[in-house]
Amino acid sequence: MHSNAARTIGKERMREWIGRLMERAEVLAPTSARAGDIILRRISSPLEVQWGGDIPLLPPKQAVLPQTDPLVSIGRGPGGFVVEPVYDETPRVLFGLRSCDVKGIEFLTRVHEYDLADAAYLRRAAAVTSVSVACVAPCAFGFCICCDAGPFLADSFDVQLTDLGDRFLAEVGSEKGGRLLEPSADLFRTGRADEVALRHELEEAAKRAFGPETCHFASAMRRVSVGRVSAELWDEIADTCLECGACNFVCPTCYCFSVKDQARDGRWVRCRTWDSCQFRAFTLEASGHNPREAHRERVKRRFFHKVSAQYFRRDGAVGCVGCGRCVKVCLGTSDMPAVVAAIRKGEWHG
Amino acid sequence: MRRAHAIRGRRRVTGREGKAVDPVLTTCPFCPCGCGFYLLAREGRTEGVIPSASDPVSRGRLCARGWASHEAPAWGERLTEPLLRHDGRMRPVSWETALDAAAGSLAAMRRAGRTIGVLGSARATNEENYLAVRMARGALQTPHVGTCLSPAYQPLLDGLHDVTERHAGSGGVADLEGCDVIVLVEGDVAVTHPQVAGAIVRARKAGCRLVTIGAVASQMTRLATLAIAAPPGRERAVTFELAAAALATGRLDTATIVAAGETFDELRRSLAGVEVSKAVARAAGWYAQAQRAGIVVAPLVGDATDLRRLAGDVATLAAATGHLDRDGSPLLMLPARGNLRGACEVGASSAFLPGFAPLSDEKAASRLEGVWGVPPARETGLDATAMLSAARGAVIVAEDPSVVLPAGALAREALGRMECVVLLDAFATGALELATVVLPIASFAENDGTVTGLDGRLRRVRAAVGPPGMARPGWAVLGAMLGRLGPAAEYESAEGVRREIARAVPPDAAPRWRELDQVGVAPKGERNGLRRRSLGPLTPCEPVEPAPFVALWNGVFDWGRDPLVRYSPTLCRESVAQRKLFPGGFVELSKEAMERLGVRQGWPVRLKSAGGEAVAPALMRADLAAGVVVVPFALRDGLAPAMGGRSVASVAVERA
Amino acid sequence: MDNLFLPRVARIAAVRDETPDTKTFDLVLRQGGEPRDFTFSPGQFMELSVFGVGEAPFCFASSPTRTECIQTTVRRTGVLTDAMHTLAAGDEVGVRGPCGNGFDVAAATAKDLLFIGGGIGLPPLRGLIWNVLDERDRFGKVTILYGARTPTDLVYKDELEEWARRGDVEIHVTVDRGETGWTGNVGMVPVLFDRTELKPATTLAYVCGPPIMIKFVVQELLMRGFSPDSVISTLERMMQCGVGKCNHCCIGHRYVCRDGPVFTYRQIREMTE
Ligand SMILES: Cc1cc2nc3c(=O)[nH]c(=O)nc-3n(C[C@H](O)[C@H](O)[C@H](O)COP(=O)(O)OP(=O)(O)OC[C@H]3O[C@@H](n4cnc5c(N)ncnc54)[C@H](O)[C@@H]3O)c2cc1C
Ligand code: SF4
Ligand code: SF4
Ligand code: FES
Repeated sequence: MHSNAARTIGKERMREWIGRLMERAEVLAPTSARAGDIILRRISSPLEVQWGGDIPLLPPKQAVLPQTDPLVSIGRGPGGFVVEPVYDETPRVLFGLRSCDVKGIEFLTRVHEYDLADAAYLRRAAAVTSVSVACVAPCAFGFCICCDAGPFLADSFDVQLTDLGDRFLAEVGSEKGGRLLEPSADLFRTGRADEVALRHELEEAAKRAFGPETCHFASAMRRVSVGRVSAELWDEIADTCLECGACNFVCPTCYCFSVKDQARDGRWVRCRTWDSCQFRAFTLEASGHNPREAHRERVKRRFFHKVSAQYFRRDGAVGCVGCGRCVKVCLGTSDMPAVVAAIRKGEWHG
Repeated sequence: MRRAHAIRGRRRVTGREGKAVDPVLTTCPFCPCGCGFYLLAREGRTEGVIPSASDPVSRGRLCARGWASHEAPAWGERLTEPLLRHDGRMRPVSWETALDAAAGSLAAMRRAGRTIGVLGSARATNEENYLAVRMARGALQTPHVGTCLSPAYQPLLDGLHDVTERHAGSGGVADLEGCDVIVLVEGDVAVTHPQVAGAIVRARKAGCRLVTIGAVASQMTRLATLAIAAPPGRERAVTFELAAAALATGRLDTATIVAAGETFDELRRSLAGVEVSKAVARAAGWYAQAQRAGIVVAPLVGDATDLRRLAGDVATLAAATGHLDRDGSPLLMLPARGNLRGACEVGASSAFLPGFAPLSDEKAASRLEGVWGVPPARETGLDATAMLSAARGAVIVAEDPSVVLPAGALAREALGRMECVVLLDAFATGALELATVVLPIASFAENDGTVTGLDGRLRRVRAAVGPPGMARPGWAVLGAMLGRLGPAAEYESAEGVRREIARAVPPDAAPRWRELDQVGVAPKGERNGLRRRSLGPLTPCEPVEPAPFVALWNGVFDWGRDPLVRYSPTLCRESVAQRKLFPGGFVELSKEAMERLGVRQGWPVRLKSAGGEAVAPALMRADLAAGVVVVPFALRDGLAPAMGGRSVASVAVERA
Repeated sequence: MDNLFLPRVARIAAVRDETPDTKTFDLVLRQGGEPRDFTFSPGQFMELSVFGVGEAPFCFASSPTRTECIQTTVRRTGVLTDAMHTLAAGDEVGVRGPCGNGFDVAAATAKDLLFIGGGIGLPPLRGLIWNVLDERDRFGKVTILYGARTPTDLVYKDELEEWARRGDVEIHVTVDRGETGWTGNVGMVPVLFDRTELKPATTLAYVCGPPIMIKFVVQELLMRGFSPDSVISTLERMMQCGVGKCNHCCIGHRYVCRDGPVFTYRQIREMTE
């Protein structure tokens, strides 16, 4: 069992800790890339970690469900074809995640456990431990507060850090998290009551800082679940969507995929590749028939999966963690908060 | 290998060790919006894309193609070894043998006075296109050089030049978002240039007025404040009217008019008495009054003269109303594919030397002689279609002409008749069967160099992985061929080629080729205001005979057969399905027309024109005008006889 | 926890031409022991792969009561099915599954059974039909109505005759267009309704075929007094994973690959998309 007692670590010791994590695992963290973007990638030195920049456009989904994900290796042996499962169980630490992204991974893990358990996903995810940093202020486009996915987490995390100025408060939320801290116990000390109190103050302040105009799922859910959104409204929304699929690709909870064989030097690797329900070909059948031929049907599908009560029951949450990425990457203007507002109000301002 | 003629660019292959490599910042290889993003790779294969929020064009937004751009290089059928045709069969050979054979046959043909053509490509980098030009006009002394797509784009640049004295519009995609009014001469930019469409969608949200001019309804026409229907291929009739209407509003830019002097009177006279419809007058009023107003011209079907005049109309409209070169008032001509603008700029053109220097320009010629060691061939060349039928030998860089040229299968036949076809490509295409020598080159994911966006921004392409097998970067392969053809040429890197381009183009264009930062250089020179202080008369449209039906190609480019789409499992699906269901093509008709003809969905109809006839199934399309028949460009081969070699044709339609 | 995507290698034991564009494949699993330990029920399907080409869903056309091989009937319509059609006895393919819910054979005990198939819709029914015939005593009256476009397009021609000869099965076959030598019925499947006596209260009707045929047949059945619960059909959707993960096959929140492909007409009617 892990101990829930909060600990603290001085900021000057952070490098040492990250360095030790790197000895045991691939450490992925937000870093500054060539053009100045913050992207999550494997670091080769603790110095590369970027603290407090923009949220990386691509969520840590890449670490549990890569864009190209090898599943099965297919080769020829003397007796015919040989097929073998491909697993990636590299120990990984996702360092410096946001709260919403932790919730995103939890969501993905839940859907891959649901019904038939998906070993390829689950084994990779089991080897991942997250160290998230609670958000003491809302980010520019985020609305995690509407999705129970931040700014601070009460559960679902492995290790949650809170910035207390010259040190971090570290809370352990899972056994995996406990195991991560254990070998570095010497770098931490037990958190004091005032430190824990400060953490709670910061959480309250962060929550208050969210404005009232965020994303109100409840009434949208009522309408979507019973199909009480007019075809005209879906049409209007669809006209401002350019079917790029970016909303799905950057969404921490989206996981649609296709399965294809990739040729590699005389053998094949059967891979799953990210797909998007916004693509016309997503449901196109061999006969040419397409049950979601109209663009409106595809937009409707996305929001049915994300905010209907039916899916809420199946997936255990709305399919949104409020990270605000779709607002940034939408090539058109039909991002989550905009559409939820439109459904709620019954009209589109895109 | 003789050192001087060795192939350079054998870069260290990264990421073969099973590890992921750092994401590499590069430029989207598809459309000319020129979005920037990072490519992810593992085990020597591209495996994903990370958008770049700080990229000035994409700002973190990519279309479906951009998001899937890692796929084709990793999933596609790649060319990995040089091939040489011997007794009718292709055999793998060494680079040495392949290059000797290619250079040897070309040199022999040149000595024998045979016609040789060289085709660059919108799929190739600026450096590769430039070297193709140097090979043609320099080493092979042939004027027949260009790209398959130039004929649909160059006339637009020429039209701009008629008014502005430069072969370029101004501003960028992002400027559209701040516009109060946008005039869009529409093809279907939501599909062809998604980043442009996205900027327009956001501009609309911010309250911008959108005027579309087009023959068929599209997502953009549905978003329009005012959608002006133009008969197919006759968008020019509307732009001419727009220019006339704008002049009639009187809200003109005094400085431009004063500077234009008498030429303004000529312009006014040419537009006097032109009848203007109410809708066009309204649009012209909005445009003339706007603080910031944009004009976008999508790739259009139509003949070269019309396209040139259309560009002249809109440039005149922008100039007379003071929007030309005004900050925040973009004037954008959209090339059909990725690096088409760059290819034209570096001289892949029958009518220009690099940097749009006229063939008659003595200074340009001697500058090139200084760089190349031989004076450039200065005759006007044949365009791609004509070149293929006239030439006995060809060098083709990264293209399958039968896929790209409107002539379709006819281009294939032309290639089949040649004595020697040297093909450079990264992917297996249909052109392979017709090649004599195949030289495998790097795809965009393995290449270094630059491409030019539709806004003129010079952007970097960077290798994320090493080329597969024996493939080498295109610039290195072309460099090695140039070395063999002489006079000596040697390039250490794509960078080296770019530095040579800076010396080859006119001095005022050179700085951009010299200074290149991370994300690319926007052409500064173009913001320096109107260089030419004159306007001129515009030519009215000739009346057309009314035809019962007008058929037009849907589009000027077939993304479905571009290797980057065809080999992407995510992107190829729709076009594969379409090709499977309608191998011989189809025609789209309005509901009225179908009722009038008494045909139902899928029934065959016959299109007859002066040129010939063709039969294909009819599909209903709700958004069409009654007299318009739309024929997919992508499936043109089956219907080509009825179109008679034109992109817009008067036809009779009957039940077959 | 198994890898959901790992196929088993199967050897093609025999290939039979059914129609110009349809072939039946007899598959024997090579890995994972005897075919016996691959248990499935009629109406379920498998993900069949041609290695290097890809995977697609195909229903079992054979009955689980016949353990010597697994059969599937494949109509040629695209990339994967083209590749299937080039294969011959001795070649290997991948088999993953069984997927989906299948027909509830237990619930059919003692009932009269009416099988209505159109074109390539007969294969999934064939599995169930053989299952029923192999355990003939458990069931009431068995009626088979089958239609295809032309006589050439009829699949399992030998078996149609065999079933007709049996005596414990009533079978009627029709074609949309006759050909020379065809002496049977001409017309769409619903014309066959008048040739047989229907007892809606005690009968389960299984309908498989092209969507348009299903539509007309179901209308007819409801009109003749069948309850939406006793009309059972299969749905086809684009599928990629077959295991409820990829989201390609969803109709509302139902997954055709998990909750289906077998649904009662009532369930189909209540779907929200
Ligand atoms: C539950 C189920 C059972 C089926 N049983 C049979 C059968 O017994 N016999 C038979 O001939 N056909 C059957 N089909 C249809 C068969 O799956 C398609 O004909 C097949 O996928 C076509 O593949 P293709 O590669 O040849 O076609 P393409 O058009 O080239 O398709 C490309 C890919 O898209 C996917 N795809 C396209 N259409 C479908 C579709 N309708 N369903 C699922 N995936 C699709 C597949 O991954 C396919 O490989 C069944 C479909 C389903 C859903
Ligand atoms: S990101 Fe926006 S434009 Fe792209 S598919 Fe999603 S909603 Fe449509
Ligand atoms: S808009 Fe054009 S450049 Fe941008 S991602 Fe799409 S295809 Fe690439
Ligand atoms: S086929 Fe993948 S979820 Fe049903």
